[in-house]
Amino acid sequence: MNADPLIQVDHLHKWFGGLHVLKDISFTVQSKEVLVLIGRSGSGKSTLLRCLNFLEEPSSGTITIGNQVVSIEPGRRPDKAIVLAVRLQTGMVFQEFNLFPHMTALENVIEGLVTVKKMPKEQAVSLGERYLKKVGLLEKRDVHPIRLSGGQKQRVAIARALAMEPKVMLFDEPTSALDPELIGEVLDVMKQLALEGTTMIVVTHEMGFASDVSDRIIYIDQGKIIEQGTPEQIFTAPQDERTHAFLEPIRKVHPTE
Amino acid sequence: MDADSSMLSSSDQDPDLEIGLSLQAAERRERVFQTIKITIVWMILVAIVSFVLLQLNFDPGYIFLHNSFVLQGAATTLGVSLASISIATILALLGALGRLSHNSIAQGISGFYVSVVRGTPLLVQIYLIYLGLPQVGQQLSKLGMVGLGQLFTLSAIQSGILALSLNYGAYMTEIFRAGIQSIGYGQREAAASIGLTPWQTMRRIILPQAVRVIIPDIGNQFIAMQKDSALVSIMGIWEITYRANRLARKDSKFMEMFILAATLYWILTIISSWLENRLERKMAQAYER
Repeated sequence: MNADPLIQVDHLHKWFGGLHVLKDISFTVQSKEVLVLIGRSGSGKSTLLRCLNFLEEPSSGTITIGNQVVSIEPGRRPDKAIVLAVRLQTGMVFQEFNLFPHMTALENVIEGLVTVKKMPKEQAVSLGERYLKKVGLLEKRDVHPIRLSGGQKQRVAIARALAMEPKVMLFDEPTSALDPELIGEVLDVMKQLALEGTTMIVVTHEMGFASDVSDRIIYIDQGKIIEQGTPEQIFTAPQDERTHAFLEPIRKVHPTE
Repeated sequence: MDADSSMLSSSDQDPDLEIGLSLQAAERRERVFQTIKITIVWMILVAIVSFVLLQLNFDPGYIFLHNSFVLQGAATTLGVSLASISIATILALLGALGRLSHNSIAQGISGFYVSVVRGTPLLVQIYLIYLGLPQVGQQLSKLGMVGLGQLFTLSAIQSGILALSLNYGAYMTEIFRAGIQSIGYGQREAAASIGLTPWQTMRRIILPQAVRVIIPDIGNQFIAMQKDSALVSIMGIWEITYRANRLARKDSKFMEMFILAATLYWILTIISSWLENRLERKMAQAYER
């Protein structure tokens, strides 16, 4: 590993009641790195992603993003101001888009700029238009989400997260709710972001994306990191039995990957 | 509708277009006929009631002569209702936020308010406010707090508005609560993810969507309130019911005057529900395809 990592997660645990869903997770992410989390449903990969911006409160452990360090003691809630500061370093893209239906595409994108960052409206609008243009939807600026296709909604959601200019983008199965023919346009935007050097952590079942775009893959099973490595290592020579078993059916379908 | 018509015009070449259009026209004719038939049934019902009444010493001339006296009360009825529904809406919003809050004091106060008000009759609440509170005021004045004491002695109109507001605020608390809870959790998460605080999320994201959901319920409450406002006539407020009652007793024209009052309430509620429908449609436009 080269310079100081942008993100460092140390000994992260998460319990849901008596259920131990994340068990002593530690990893780092370098600036400009694209990290993909893979694993079966229920493995804890989405929970891990959601712990990074405190949509789920970790039960214990330390999360460092940029210069923000949050240590969570078991049974003690982290300080609200620190949680907010961490959230502003992360941008989140949800499986179900979660656009605000009462706002136009542009209003969705500038909501955080105006309400949270207190940016003057004019400045926010020009920034919002820039990010809508980036995801190829400037012409939809005054359209409400209901008139957008699933792929367009997700691209607006990406623009909404990007507009806050976070240090890292978190993607939680961003294409899982999309019709097959709409997945490509969202993946294309994500590839473009990766090429531009956006730091990204992506939970996905799109193995094509994982192998083509990611710098590193982490395989999670039953709340533990089982294995991590470059896409080549993971896809062609998985070290662990479980990783091998998980990827086997996929390798049969996509032999080149 | 827009999408439909544009689809039709863009498929000019469709050889089956004629059939589709004629089916559509037939459906529309069917609907118009249905409306006409229902209207005729209503007119027959009104005619039967009028006929029966006329056989029973009913005096429509009396209504004709005195309707303006009762009609003047409509403004008071409407004014009291509008003021009360406005205050009730604010109370309901506060009540719902209290019931949904994690703060035990806020939860306790709002839960207590809803329980007490919903568990007691509106008429008793009116008596408590109009006749009970001045007693408290007198006691306070005796203790030297004259200004505060006077605050407890409310006029009939003030008492009526306060009672209706408190009463409807409690029922509408539950409406607001259900509306707020109907907004999916994903909206809160998305708001949190771009850094909105819980309060900003409520104000900017949840409430605007919740209000749209509950507009029909608020409309229904407003309609119910116009009718319940008849109860304030017991304090001698010159609204529809009080005026009708006054003439009815003076000239023993009970059926005439109370049918007039009933008709006025009926017309008011029809107008209100028409307005509410329009508002609902207008608010839906932003979301429509």
